[in-house]
Amino acid sequence: MNRKILSLVRVMLRNSTGLGIKDGKRSTQIFLIVMLALTVPFMLIGIVALFSSLIGAFMQIGQAGLVLKLGIGINSAIIFIFGIFYVMSSFYFSSDVEYLLPLPLKPWEIVSAKLIVVIIYEFIVTGVLYLPLLFTYGIRLGMGPLYYVYGLIVFVLLPIVPLALASFLVMLIMRFTNLKRHKDFLKVLAGMLGLFVGLGINMLLQNVSTDLSPEALLEMLESGSNSLVNVIPDIFPAAGWASQALVYSSSLKGLLNLILFVGVTLGAYGLITAFGQVIYLKGAVGLSEAGSSRRNKAIGQVVEKSRSRSALLSYCLVEIRLLVRTPIYFLNCVVMNFLWPLFLLIPLLTSGDQAMAFDEITRVISNPENAGIVLAAAFAMAVFMGASNGISSSAMSREGENIYVKKYLPVSYIVQLNAKLLSAMLIGFAAILVLVLLCIILFKMPLFLGLLMLITSPLALLFVSLTGLMIDLVNPNFTWDNEQKAVKQNINVFFNVIIGMIMAPLVIVPTIIIKWTLASTLAILCIGFLVLDILMYSILATRGVKIFSSI
Amino acid sequence: MIELININKTYNGKVKAADNLTLTVPSGQIFGFLGPNGAGKTTAIKIITGILKADSGSVKVNGIDIGQKPLEVKKQIGFVPDTPNMFLRLKGIEYLGFMADMYEVAADQRKPRIEDLASRFGMADVLDDKILSYSHGMRQKIVLMGALIHEPSVWILDEPMTGLDPRSSFILKEMMREQVNEGKTVFFSTHVLDVAEKICDRVAIIDKGSILFTGTLAEMKEHFKKNESLENMFLELTESE
Ligand SMILES: Nc1ncnc2c1ncn2[C@@H]1O[C@H](COP(=O)(O)OP(=O)(O)O)[C@@H](O)[C@H]1O
Ligand SMILES: [Mg+2]
Repeated sequence: MNRKILSLVRVMLRNSTGLGIKDGKRSTQIFLIVMLALTVPFMLIGIVALFSSLIGAFMQIGQAGLVLKLGIGINSAIIFIFGIFYVMSSFYFSSDVEYLLPLPLKPWEIVSAKLIVVIIYEFIVTGVLYLPLLFTYGIRLGMGPLYYVYGLIVFVLLPIVPLALASFLVMLIMRFTNLKRHKDFLKVLAGMLGLFVGLGINMLLQNVSTDLSPEALLEMLESGSNSLVNVIPDIFPAAGWASQALVYSSSLKGLLNLILFVGVTLGAYGLITAFGQVIYLKGAVGLSEAGSSRRNKAIGQVVEKSRSRSALLSYCLVEIRLLVRTPIYFLNCVVMNFLWPLFLLIPLLTSGDQAMAFDEITRVISNPENAGIVLAAAFAMAVFMGASNGISSSAMSREGENIYVKKYLPVSYIVQLNAKLLSAMLIGFAAILVLVLLCIILFKMPLFLGLLMLITSPLALLFVSLTGLMIDLVNPNFTWDNEQKAVKQNINVFFNVIIGMIMAPLVIVPTIIIKWTLASTLAILCIGFLVLDILMYSILATRGVKIFSSI
Repeated sequence: MIELININKTYNGKVKAADNLTLTVPSGQIFGFLGPNGAGKTTAIKIITGILKADSGSVKVNGIDIGQKPLEVKKQIGFVPDTPNMFLRLKGIEYLGFMADMYEVAADQRKPRIEDLASRFGMADVLDDKILSYSHGMRQKIVLMGALIHEPSVWILDEPMTGLDPRSSFILKEMMREQVNEGKTVFFSTHVLDVAEKICDRVAIIDKGSILFTGTLAEMKEHFKKNESLENMFLELTESE
């Protein structure tokens, strides 16, 4: 490969600080690594367990290879979907594009380097899905060494075909439509699409894994020759060859399939870089143009709209405006925040017996005896939603290199932190409001219970906003060239989600076990979280402010 | 007035960006801070504005110590940083409103000030657009407007002339002159000798973190041979280690 491309890749990778582990202090680095070491294995164990049971079920009917095919196919599909998003932001919207275009580089070299960087990012997806599958299958079926050699080759090459497809689509769109002028809109659209496809896959997986009895599997297989294979949408034939290569790794058939897979993959790589050579530049130039009105509105009219506010409110308003107007922040923080109520409804709406499920829930929620549990459940939701929207846990990192502005403003650090807390809590509260309204309308929840939820939830939101802000203060990532790194690839967001996932059950489980009444639930939650909030806030007001002032 | 007293700052334990800096910027005179790239101008300015903490030494603005009363000091200053790419997704008017709120500009003052600044800099037509759609020079102007909206008594500008068109830099020069005529302070950095020569009453020359010369332009000229061009003087000053 050409040297230019390699050094381009190196620069791009170095510029991306990844999860922000590299540039923290030594102590925070160790903390992060320990946290990762503690959480990642659990995730992997879950995935391995799922594959293992799937493989077990299919082994009984002698079709274990199908799991491999299904897994690799789904892996390809996920890479493709994430790929559209990644490719768009990396090829066109990353700020380094502006610096690359004037360099004496051929378009295909830029495309190659960018593609390789995206492929490397996708190794994370492949590492979490494909690798556990590879090893689970290999161990359960006692595959030989050649299987693992083939498996490694497939690992490296697997992302290329779906990404080439994604790049092809994205480059076409950027070249021939005027959409790039509406960069922000496009980003939101791509993100929404990704979200809903992700949701779809999730539901599909749930449906697949509900019925795993050998009889059911056999029935599916017999109702038409290899019908199950046809059920799996085979959009990525290369994935099929890859799985065949693995399944028959001990025979010539495997080698032939591997050659086919490698050939097609390399061909796809060649085609997409050739395509990029022709089409990339025309789509990439003029990207930094933003739509502007130039309406010649009278200045008096414009200035009139500008109201005088307190520093706290004005600061908070700017935080919210930036969250809503920056597509990546909007998708990852605001949209995600409102999706939780939806996530809860989807299983209801898609389950077989909707009417029954509705009645059942209505019965539980409107029963006064359950009021305590229902209130605690809403409180736990507030804890979880507030922690997982990532607003406070990216509040410092989102500032990026402009953090210095916040240091010369004549506003004390605690007021600035308060404004950040307030913005996170307001958006979190809006989602709770939606949730409460849904419960009242759909499940006839008593009004006073809804009111109690609204009154208590700020205590929950405050707590997780405080933990998030504190985490992001301790380990902020200010050096990014792409907003994704401030929220999506920010490990602090992940840590706060973990805190939410630990705290939420702590709220709800005792209530269910002890069967507290509404009054005692209310008292215990309020007092408990008031104490926690005061404690956390005093940490923020002392240590947090100190950290901010020494940034 | 700005006073720097024995300021030291070392980055990563290696680069000494401020080496026992002592400097007094009097009010009533346009003060230029002259030095080549990497001399330590931005570092010194960051220390005065509270963005960076010095390793040792103290900074006073109008007699107030920034270490003791940081907010008091920050309120006195109007600061224009060297890169104007901030708050890009806010509209110009929203940014100005934000700055007015941060610096507690009275409600009845902000409208006339915004209108005045906008008409001076020719920005009236674009205030309702997002800063993202502004050119580099326009972004610089909106930041400048944001810095002046509270009528600060001390102006600190980091390389303000780079990127401004001749008309805008002329206006800025005029405004600096008005400011010092009212007995206020103007302190700006530049690496362009020409700029310093045309605007300043007084200069300090900095290289490798330490001050090589402070005085009026006349003194600077006198200090070195009169006929020699400023370019030569500048070279001599920076190489006289
Ligand atoms: N954040 C930083 N980290 C490390 N070194 C820095 C940093 N900022 C500036 N420096 C170094 O300090 C010196 C002075 O830089 P600066 O104050 O920006 O100079 P100037 O503004 O005069 O061009 C330079 O050698 C520069 O490399
Ligand atoms: Mg500088």
